Amino acid sequence: CSGMAAPTKAERKACWGARDEFWQCLDSHGDDAAKCEKLRRAFESRCPQQWVKHFDKRRDFLKYKKKLETEGYSPPEAAGKS
Amino acid sequence: GAPRLPLRQRLAVAGAVAGAAAAGWLYLRQQKERQRRSRRLQQLRQVALGQGDFQLQDTAGTPRSKADFLGRWVLLYFGFTHCPDVCPEELEKLSRAVELLERDPALPPLQPLFVTVDPERDDAAALARYLRDFHPRLLGLTGTPEQVRAAASAFRVYVSAGPRDSDGDYVVDHSVLTFLVDPDGLFRDCYGRSRTAEEVARSVRGHMDAYEPLPP
Repeated sequence: CSGMAAPTKAERKACWGARDEFWQCLDSHGDDAAKCEKLRRAFESRCPQQWVKHFDKRRDFLKYKKKLETEGYSPPEAAGKS
Repeated sequence: GAPRLPLRQRLAVAGAVAGAAAAGWLYLRQQKERQRRSRRLQQLRQVALGQGDFQLQDTAGTPRSKADFLGRWVLLYFGFTHCPDVCPEELEKLSRAVELLERDPALPPLQPLFVTVDPERDDAAALARYLRDFHPRLLGLTGTPEQVRAAASAFRVYVSAGPRDSDGDYVVDHSVLTFLVDPDGLFRDCYGRSRTAEEVARSVRGHMDAYEPLPP
């Protein structure tokens, strides 16, 4: 069974590349995972299961962080102010 | 009765006595200061050896403790080879910082160290394989789970292995820190994710320039 040896540098790069392609696809489809299935499968095949989980969590975190940043900067709605 | 000295001479004697007393007092104060300094340096030396010590083995199987690295600056990172991204990135950064500092031949030698937080999987062979991709002088250290736990604890590094999946694979959550230790074995600084290689190099150089060795 594979996954006994740690990924080599080349394998890391391949995994990160697949992850980045998948994420770029998500970015351009408003995070609609259904539109990026092929790249998702490539990502899952090139990365250890543990890394897929780790990167999924990281993506969620980055999105959350971005949301905080953008919503933090948007001016409050002036509702009914005289 | 005894002849009395003229005023001028009496003043001169009084002045000499006062001067001798002052000189004596200054000398005693200096002695006390010297002793205090010496005691403090002894304490520092003990603290330096006791603080952040480790008993590990390098990738050649040679036992290594902090004493082996005295006389050199050390940049030490805790990580594991099955690490998804953080460890390779931090090791790239560490390697690059060391390279930048090596360019200046006037600077003292700097030893990069990698200590695994995953001794179950990261034996000497696994470490050697992994570290090949980074700075050629980056030395890997591993040990028994107890030894590694003690080393992480000595550096106050948080380590927590995650749950195993169906392949038996797992990740190890850990503090992401690179420690700078001076040639006397004293902590000087630590660097996290946000520092760039250039910033680390600049900071290390600053510590090297300001460094005064503990007298023997």
